[in-house]
Amino acid sequence: MSSVESSGDGGKWLDAHYDPVAGLYTFSSCVDLADLSGDRESRLVVGDLGTGSSGMKLKVYRGTALISENTLLDLPAGLVAFFMDLHEPRIPAVAVASGPCIYVYKNLRPYFKFTLPSLDVNPLEQDVWQQVREGQIDPVMLKEMLESIRKKADIPLSIRSLRFLSLEADEADEFVQLHKQQPIRRQTVITCIGTLKKSTADEDGISCLVIGTESTDVFILDPEAFTILCKMSLPAVPTMMDVTGQFDVEFRITVACRNGSIYILRRESEKPKYCIKLSSHPVGLVRVGKNVVVGCTDESLQGFTQKGKKLWKIILPAPITTMAPMDLPTRGLQAVLVALANCQVQLYREKNLLSTIKTPDTVTSICFGRYGREDGTLIMTTKGGGLMVKILKRTAVFDDRDSTPGPPVAQSVRLNVPKKTKLYVDQTLRERENGLAMHRAFHMDLSRMRLAAVRAYVKALESSLTPISSSLSEPLKMNAVVQGLGPSFKLTLNVQNTASCRPVMNLAISFLYDDNLYRIRNPYMRIPLLVPGLIYPVETFVECTSDKGISDIIKVFVLHEEKSSPLLTAHINMPVSEGLMLN
Amino acid sequence: MADEETVTALPVSTEAKKRRAPKAPELPIVERRNWLIHQHYLRKDYETCKVIIKEQLQETNGMCEYAIYVQALILRLEGKIQESLELFQSCAILNPSSSDNLKQVARSLFLLGKHKAAIEFYNEAAKLNEKDWEISHNLGVCYYFIKDFKYAEEHLNLALQINKHDKTFMMLGKVHLLAGEADKAIEVYKRAVEFSPENTELLTTLGLLFLQLGKYQKAFEHLGNALTFDPNNYKAILAAGSMMQTHGDFDVAMNKYRVAACAVPESPPLWNNIGMCFFGKKKYVAAISCLKRAHYLSPFDWKVLYNLGLVHLTMQQYASAFHFLSAAINLNPRMGELYMLLAVALTNLEDVENATRAYEQAVNLDESNPMVNLNFAIFLYNHGDKKRALDQYQEMERKVNQLRDSSNNFEFDPELMDMAQKMGVALQVTESLVWTKPGKDSTSKPHSAAAAKTPGAPLGTNQALGQAMSSAASYNKNIQLTTGVSKGSTAPALEPDVENAPSPPTDPPGPSEPEDPDGSKSRTSKGKSEVE
Repeated sequence: MSSVESSGDGGKWLDAHYDPVAGLYTFSSCVDLADLSGDRESRLVVGDLGTGSSGMKLKVYRGTALISENTLLDLPAGLVAFFMDLHEPRIPAVAVASGPCIYVYKNLRPYFKFTLPSLDVNPLEQDVWQQVREGQIDPVMLKEMLESIRKKADIPLSIRSLRFLSLEADEADEFVQLHKQQPIRRQTVITCIGTLKKSTADEDGISCLVIGTESTDVFILDPEAFTILCKMSLPAVPTMMDVTGQFDVEFRITVACRNGSIYILRRESEKPKYCIKLSSHPVGLVRVGKNVVVGCTDESLQGFTQKGKKLWKIILPAPITTMAPMDLPTRGLQAVLVALANCQVQLYREKNLLSTIKTPDTVTSICFGRYGREDGTLIMTTKGGGLMVKILKRTAVFDDRDSTPGPPVAQSVRLNVPKKTKLYVDQTLRERENGLAMHRAFHMDLSRMRLAAVRAYVKALESSLTPISSSLSEPLKMNAVVQGLGPSFKLTLNVQNTASCRPVMNLAISFLYDDNLYRIRNPYMRIPLLVPGLIYPVETFVECTSDKGISDIIKVFVLHEEKSSPLLTAHINMPVSEGLMLN
Repeated sequence: MADEETVTALPVSTEAKKRRAPKAPELPIVERRNWLIHQHYLRKDYETCKVIIKEQLQETNGMCEYAIYVQALILRLEGKIQESLELFQSCAILNPSSSDNLKQVARSLFLLGKHKAAIEFYNEAAKLNEKDWEISHNLGVCYYFIKDFKYAEEHLNLALQINKHDKTFMMLGKVHLLAGEADKAIEVYKRAVEFSPENTELLTTLGLLFLQLGKYQKAFEHLGNALTFDPNNYKAILAAGSMMQTHGDFDVAMNKYRVAACAVPESPPLWNNIGMCFFGKKKYVAAISCLKRAHYLSPFDWKVLYNLGLVHLTMQQYASAFHFLSAAINLNPRMGELYMLLAVALTNLEDVENATRAYEQAVNLDESNPMVNLNFAIFLYNHGDKKRALDQYQEMERKVNQLRDSSNNFEFDPELMDMAQKMGVALQVTESLVWTKPGKDSTSKPHSAAAAKTPGAPLGTNQALGQAMSSAASYNKNIQLTTGVSKGSTAPALEPDVENAPSPPTDPPGPSEPEDPDGSKSRTSKGKSEVE
């Protein structure tokens, strides 16, 4: 933010690599660092979403170069590197979760595919399709029955039934013929994936896979046999998770869900043990030590204990895009990286801002860890598809600033008090000396002005000079519009009868003007009967006969036949004629 | 058609299928991209989100509930509430057992102002999910808007039982305040502050509440806390500043105001308070500048006009003061003190007739301020009407006694007491000793005697309206019987900017500020901060 901070950061990070056109479309959950070839050099593994519908790839980077690409079959929802066996050399496998399957890659070759067990199918639905297969009911009947099942069933319909219900009648037959022989299946989708050490806390110990699904379940998979070790259920769909502990000892799975809550699962309980209800959706979830740091869509960062008690909350300057932990045990540094939509990445320890990194684009995924042979590497991908690698300098020190900031900068800014001139001071002195006279003069003038105003008003009323007539028999309103640049003008008078029901008859319009200056085509016009409420435009043309560039007032009178005084009067200030008379 | 999609979606599994049963392609899972939609929605990347939703809905023939749900959420964020409501309703049809869908339908109805319909839907949702703080909270808010405070309170309390959230506390406090239960509101806010001690909004609200109830110590404590956590909190700055001002701590208050001036440079109450700070520091020209800015920003604020009138009285610019005060009276015709100040201005402008009328109006309207009666008494005495002066003097004594009875440590302005005693001597009233007790307690200012001598003699006090009184008193010595120019003192709707004309605020050197000695006040500046 301030210059001090940015220069301070310049000293903390080395810009190792920046490729703005790496073409990566990914999330923090699809990025991991792992030593994939056993040469003690970490690679970057990225699950790239391609265009979002095609071109999904598993990409591996070494240093600044892309060294391998595997085509993925579906959108990767999550990616983890984990040790699945005890073989030497210790090379981790990569598990990519996409759709209902987990694809396991070993040595960057497809190794195993695990598919989630199907969900229960509604028995009624199964019966109905069975009957279809046996030819007992036709598609119309089928549709009706499925509709009724959908409305009251606890178990939702399978995709096939849903698709069938959305079809038009002419397509339905064909669809039934095509699908009726197949057994009905309901599958779910993996939404997030994590790893959990099986029995030892060693860095290269065997890990179980922990997966969250769209069917609001959490599964823990055995890494060798790929059987489900444990199944737990949540009240809502999980979106992110953090896992700690060991499966055989004690573990804790913190899951952020789509309903804006965070649930904490523990060993030996099928249901969540604790629950944190947030007031807005969580965007990022990071565990630091025993506490959980959550970034929410309301631009806040909140800290909770592992039992769900709120510790602190701070407001961030921009919406969060993603978060990641920054753990550097060699230096005893545990902090949280928060990427913001205003192209910043902020580093927080507890609620204290340690440093800010500015990036050329909005960061969409962050990963901090060992890359190559460097322990403190920060890897970010940006919204535009860029890949950025920064290395933490070994000399970099993050000083924990005091949480209470000093007086704000604004306090020392001078107030912008408007200055007063010498003239003002003189006038003040004058008023002080002659205040009485000024006051009296003011009141004298005020009285005069009021008198003048009242006189003018009375005069206007007496001589019907107003453009609104308030007489009971002919309540009229008129306004005038002058169009044109000259010398010819079009004069439109809009006359309206404001009475509630009575029409007005026998009216005429005449004009008073300087005939040296103007010529009016119809100086006297009769007005038709005026129906109440309607606006009657009366038009005539005025020609300016002078070329001296002067203008005058034209007075318009609305007259009643057999009366000499006008009902109302309008003064039209004519514009100066801008055109020259021809000949 | 289904064929194509599956090829892009799951080519391998489809191929596998095809070998066995080439006729039936596997259908893509409806929910397969829900997580992606959610991720983009969370990141507020609504454009991408809409593209994905569109693809997903095409692929599933509109059967993907979550895609419709997020589409509706986005529409609502874009302000298309009616459209979003329809989409949420179709979600509720797709999945009638989800309380989320009902909640969102209710939310959209709420945003459309149909609170009763929203309540119905929330109640439906509550049947599906009983222990949901969000439903209870929103029900409370709905009842709050239809002014059913009893139910609102009930539901908000229920929400707090299920789960504590700052905004529920905030809402419950508001409900109590609107129901006129300030003490309950304070209890709620206290609990809230306990629960989240760093929420500046809660701290500020609680502080302001204490301020309104006159518990200055507690108010200051909470406002101070709010400022510790957020030194830029405008509301807290204004409230705390006005309290400092009341205690004469002008420099500290100004420091705080500087911060606020950076954050909200166009706030009328802020400039009003800054102006009164300058006034307190006897920098009258700066005070006038600031007050005029406040007046420019909020031309219909009578408090600013009141202060302007007061400053101009101090500057002995009675003609200007008259204009500001009469403008203030036009905006707030029910305040006795305004009429009193107007009367003081008129007295100095030698308009006895109108001054008398203004005083009469002031005495009629005022309930508790003894100064009004004292000033009137002095005025009457100066014009030789001893009998009525005595009446006013006695009325003043009544008010003083009343004030002393109502609170034990009520401090009277020493100048006021001094002047009253003098007046008592002049009217030959036996010393009724109403002052003696407080008179001993408070240190009387040595300057106050001078007040009666010459206009513009220094008066060191900072109490409300002290200036007004001294102005009246100073008139004492210059009695000239003049039959005033006739005019209604309350009638004119004048532009108070008449005399702004010769003061364009653009000149490079800061003109020497004529340090005009006189007593001052900053009472109204406090009232202001609460308005915001």
